[in-house]
Amino acid sequence: MTTESISLTVNGQPRRMDIDPRTLLVQLIRDHLGLTGTHVGCDTAQCGACTVHVDGRAVKSCSILALQADGTEVTTIEGLATGDELHPMQQAFRDCHGLQCGYCTPGMVMSAIELLKHNPQPSEQQIREGLEGNICRCTGYQNIVKAVQQAAGA
Amino acid sequence: MSATRYLRPTHLEEALAALGTHPWTVLAGGTDFYPGRVGKPVDVDVLDVTRIADLRGIQVAGGAVRIGATTTWSELITARLPNVCAGLKAAAREVGGVQIQNAGTVAGNLCNASPAADGVPALLALGAEVELHSGSGARRVNLGEFVLGSRRTARRPDELVVAVHLTPWPEGAKGVFLKLGHRRYLVISVVMVAACVALDAAGRIARCAVAVGACSAVAQRLSGLEARVVGMRPDEAIAGITNADLTCLTPIDDVRGSAAYRRDAALTLVRQAIEQAATP
Ligand SMILES: Cc1cc2nc3c(=O)[nH]c(=O)nc-3n(C[C@H](O)[C@H](O)[C@H](O)COP(=O)(O)OP(=O)(O)OC[C@H]3O[C@@H](n4cnc5c(N)ncnc54)[C@H](O)[C@@H]3O)c2cc1C
Ligand code: FES
Ligand code: FES
Repeated sequence: MTTESISLTVNGQPRRMDIDPRTLLVQLIRDHLGLTGTHVGCDTAQCGACTVHVDGRAVKSCSILALQADGTEVTTIEGLATGDELHPMQQAFRDCHGLQCGYCTPGMVMSAIELLKHNPQPSEQQIREGLEGNICRCTGYQNIVKAVQQAAGA
Repeated sequence: MSATRYLRPTHLEEALAALGTHPWTVLAGGTDFYPGRVGKPVDVDVLDVTRIADLRGIQVAGGAVRIGATTTWSELITARLPNVCAGLKAAAREVGGVQIQNAGTVAGNLCNASPAADGVPALLALGAEVELHSGSGARRVNLGEFVLGSRRTARRPDELVVAVHLTPWPEGAKGVFLKLGHRRYLVISVVMVAACVALDAAGRIARCAVAVGACSAVAQRLSGLEARVVGMRPDEAIAGITNADLTCLTPIDDVRGSAAYRRDAALTLVRQAIEQAATP
């Protein structure tokens, strides 16, 4: 097996390792770094459970090679809280019951943060459209929308 | 094949030299590449073109626009572009969700050549040209001659798409993009229509371009209609549009709709698109 070296920052920590070039970013995050908060919900890049931030932009980590993130700053769901204090978006999902099984939640939270970054006061419609790349099988989305509204108001 | 190789050049020359000597699979945002493999491991040698500076970004000069191949849909949405590109921006907002727009590129959409690619009709209506480079030179091809069929393009294996070029439209020209699907997101569209219209001082149509997607293997320009409506008032032009203008379309019957339904939807959307593009 050929390997390539990669260095990137994950949740503020510099990481350097040698990987098989075929490694997907989500495999690096989950299998190599043990950060299993980022989920895999499909194999067609549709569900959004694997959403992380690469240099501040939400991407589906199941559909880029880890090597494509060489030199970037990656933030996963584990990188949001400050100590015991949840990120306002995490807190809002908790307060508003924006989850049931929780499978989609890490991706939802990462996408919702990107949404508010570009549009701090979104309408309900804009929230629904901004999260169209994330699928939830449980909640019916109502409480997810409420959570984003709470975080926007916070 | 086990020893997958990965190459990420920062200069165009490096990429072209590599393509000239080995069958690399070009990779940009990967949003067509990975889903197309549905869980299969990557078993091809990958040439990642996303770090080549010459391929990135948008330049506007006197109404002409150069869209670098690896420009993402998100970058296109936030770029300052002439009004005639409003339809292209609307198409960009239709490409997947935000995560897909952040990674997916304009050239990736064209090279993937899906009959349902949103970028194709929008860029066809704008009269886009595709700039290709190889170790032996460069050429420009009209988009209509670049996309040859479903998943087939005129790109040779040693060539890379470097940019997409838009020639200027008269000032005040407007572009629109309309799409009919069963849901807005994650579904193959039933019909897509892009239209660009420029009016003269008297409010008559001076120039018109209409492209229809998802109703044939490759999106089609309605050149007969475009020529016929020049000099007409928008309302007379729209009233005169009939099925006879859509004979170049070859819609199919499938689970999403019958061919007759698609043809009817296309007719309605063509009228609406021209009406909206002709409304200042
Ligand atoms: C969930 C989801 C939803 C989507 N929704 C839509 C949608 O609504 N509308 C739509 O049109 N598309 C949609 N797509 C498809 C895709 O996102 C777009 O076509 C996107 O623009 C592809 O760009 P990319 O950079 O990711 O391409 P890649 O996957 O990197 O490449 C696609 C193809 O183009 C080739 N290629 C890429 N760049 C070059 C180049 N510079 N020179 C030569 N060849 C090149 C590659 O070799 C490959 O064959 C969706 C995809 C997903 C996963
Ligand atoms: S795992 Fe479903 S989009 Fe990535
Ligand atoms: S909470 Fe179960 S999928 Fe969203």
